[in-house]
Order: sequence, then C-alpha cells, then structure tokens
Amino acid sequence: MIGLLLLWKAVSLFFLPTFLPSPADLLASIVEVFSHSSAYLIVGKTLERVVIGLILSMLIGASTGLVMGLRRSVESFFDSWVMVLLTFPAISWAFLSVLWFGISDIAPIFTIVLIVFPYVTMNVWEGTKAMDKELTDMATVFRANRFLLLRKVLVPQLMPYLFSSLRISFALSWKIALVSEAFGAGRGVGKELTYWFQGIRVDMMLAWGMSFMVLMVLIDVVIFRRWEKHVFSWRQTAVA
Amino acid sequence: MPLNAVEIEGLGKTFPTPSGLSRFAVIKSLSLRIQRGTFASIVGPSGCGKSTLLNIIAGIEPHDLGHVRIIPQDGTNAAARIGYVFQSPRLLNWLSVEDNIKFALEAQTIDRGRWDERVQKYLEMVGLSGQELNYPLKLSGGMQQRVAIARALAIEPDILLMDEPFSHLDEITARKMRVDLMHILEHAQPTILFVTHSLREAVFLSEEVYMMSVKPARIFKHLRVDIPRPREPEDPRLFDLEKGLVKEFFAVLERDQQ
Repeated sequence: MIGLLLLWKAVSLFFLPTFLPSPADLLASIVEVFSHSSAYLIVGKTLERVVIGLILSMLIGASTGLVMGLRRSVESFFDSWVMVLLTFPAISWAFLSVLWFGISDIAPIFTIVLIVFPYVTMNVWEGTKAMDKELTDMATVFRANRFLLLRKVLVPQLMPYLFSSLRISFALSWKIALVSEAFGAGRGVGKELTYWFQGIRVDMMLAWGMSFMVLMVLIDVVIFRRWEKHVFSWRQTAVA
Repeated sequence: MPLNAVEIEGLGKTFPTPSGLSRFAVIKSLSLRIQRGTFASIVGPSGCGKSTLLNIIAGIEPHDLGHVRIIPQDGTNAAARIGYVFQSPRLLNWLSVEDNIKFALEAQTIDRGRWDERVQKYLEMVGLSGQELNYPLKLSGGMQQRVAIARALAIEPDILLMDEPFSHLDEITARKMRVDLMHILEHAQPTILFVTHSLREAVFLSEEVYMMSVKPARIFKHLRVDIPRPREPEDPRLFDLEKGLVKEFFAVLERDQQ
C-alpha cells in the first residue's frame, strides 16, 4: 500500500498536477470539492438515482426470475427477451434514454434499470433451479397455501441469490449512473466528471470519482455485508 | 364398530419404463384399512413402492386406479389433516424450532391463539423443551428428527405418515428414538402409518404389521402384535414374531422370483 503511494508520488513528479496529481494534491482537491455545500447535494442526487434504480431493478428482476423459475410457460417466453436485453449495448440505453426522457431524473434511472434488471432475473432464475423440491412437497403435505409457501419456503432459499444480485447490481448501478449522468443530467457526479473532463482537470475528476467510489464501498461494507450476515445467522452450526 | 381413519381400495400406480414406451406397475390393486388410533406398519424391501404409497396417501403423488380416503376425526367434510415425518427431517433451516412447528400450524389454519400451547406441548413430548429459539442446524440429526415429529404431531393429524423416519440416524440414536416414540404415543394417540424395511422396528412399534412384496407392491400378510405397550426392545416374544415373519418373507420372495 505504502509502496503504491510512493510509486504514484514518484510518477506524478513528471507531470502537471492537473494531469496526474500526486496523492497529496488529490487529497487537497477532495477537500476543496467538499468544502462547497453544493457537493453534498450533487452526491445526494446521484445516490438517489442509484438507490431508486437499484430498488426497481431488484423488484423487476426478482419477480421475473421467480416467475420464470416457477412457470414453464413463462420461462421460454421471457428467456429470449432477457437475452436480448443482456446483449443490447449498454451505451445505447444511455443515449436512448436521454432522447426519450431528456435531461431528467428518469433518464439515468431508466438506463440503470434496463441494464441491471436482466442480471437479477438471470441470477434469481438460476436460484429457482436450485430449490429443494422435498421442502415444497413437505409444505404441500401440510397444506401450506401459495403465499405461505412463497414466504417461508421458496424466498428464503433464494436469499443467497438475492444478496449476490443486490451487491452486483449495486456495483453496476452506480457505475451506470455516472455514465448516464455524463450524457444527460442537470446535476450529478457524472455531470461533474464531464465538466472537469472538458477543462482537462484530471485532479478534479479523480477527486469526484474516488470520493464517490469510497462512499459506494462504504455502503457495501456497512449496510449490505452486515445485513447479509444477519440474514444468514441461522447458518452458523453448533460450536462443538 | 371401530372407525376407520384410512381406507384404500384397489389402488393402482404405474410408472413409465426408462425407455418411456410402456409403463410398469409399482402398486397393483392394493387395499388397506387402518382403524382410528392404530399404529400400523408396512414392511417391505427397499424399492418396493412403500414411499410411493405414502406419497399417494399424502396427495403429493398421483395414482392411476382406485381411491384413497382419509376420514377426518371430527366427522366433518373438511380436508383431512396429514402429518408426515420424512426420512430426512425436511425442516426449514432458516426458521427457529418454534417457527418450524408454527409453519405447520399456520399451513393448517389452526387458530393463532393456540400456537404457543401446541408448540410447548409437543416440544415437551419429544423432549426438546427449551430449544424453541434454536435453529435446526445447531441441533443433532436425532434432535432435528424430533422437531419433525413434533411438527407432525402438533397439527393433531387425522393420519400420521412416517417414512423410515429413523433410517438416517445411527443405530444407538435410532433405538432411543423408537423407545421414545413409544412413550410419546402414551400421551398422543394418533393413527399412524409407518413404513420401514426393518421387521424388528415394525413388530416393536406396531399393533398391525402389513408385509409388502416387490413389483408390483401388494400386501401378502397381515399380523396383529398383541403385546401390550410399553414394550421392551429385548422382549423375546417380539423376537419370535420377527423370526416367523422373516421366514414367510423369504418364502414369498422365492415364490415371486420363480
């Protein structure tokens, strides 16, 4: 880690701070960025789009994946559509959504959802194939209705898949959010990146990009991993 | 006249052959009546269709011929309550012991106000009081199977189906479970249809023993075990019964093979 920082410092000596800043320069830029209160609003705006996009992707992806897994007839119908969505170039969605929705909140959210939800669908669909039929039979013998079966038997078996989907989707969502904001958004971290890109200010671009990245990693570690650990506490077997 | 809990008439079940071109009979014109409150066992070799029979009774496997009727204890036309103890516990590992039992109670739409009382009563019966909040994976295999038994008893079933419930346990645990099951039955008197490949287990536990032959499954022998409960596993009378049945069983097997 220290070696890496030293190398970075050494290389940066040969360039202008605005082209390749040294670690100290970058830190100074970050401090400068967040000395303005508007920076928090900008980060908040992007975060809001990420969260909404993520929630919608998870809801749509999980329900389509589940339905595909439980109903053969739906499976073949959706299968090809999910593949179409997965292979459609991500960049096209970013352009299309700006053309369709203009400079608005909807454009980046639309882009996130269309790119991310097919991954969730695939993952959850895969999960339905690993479900234990013996448990379904047990529930049927005890006359559990569909809702109870879903709630207490099926969805808990999908939890590992839902959590891996959630974390992958989150990582994808914020990256897509930045790209799509760069194309069309009134305000957002992606917009800042394009602004400083046009001014050829690598230091400011890195300051924005890296601080947002740190925030995203923190959310993953502090919220998602803890939540996951809590949900799977039943897995801890007896301490012999 | 004693009331029946289960009536099976001319039951037939076929499976497709591996080639899928024709079907072979697994169960052929099987009839069986089990009186209410009786512990009945079906004994047969592995793969004779015992589990298939239980699954048909439980309604998770379709059958081709005949009919199966489970008569509710309360004399109403309500759907019968079926308790099932499988070979493996089939617990919901993400739910606590207590919630596993409540799952069955909820499935049976039993009044929520009676859940706690049922949970307490039946956990105590299987010797697991105090384990309510524990998770299944923290319990031994034998304890997990006790939870499964408590879950099946807790719905106070019209028929309790048990499919070789001790076959996955080591012999010492299995032996203790059999003795404990006998004591449990002094408190609760459900109608039980117990499937096993062990004659010893069958004669030790049951009041009625039905012997089943292979392909297609049919019942060739019915025996009453009149030794009063609780019984001792080492009771020489049980051993004599077992010996007699083994002899008959081999006679039938040989005849079938000719």
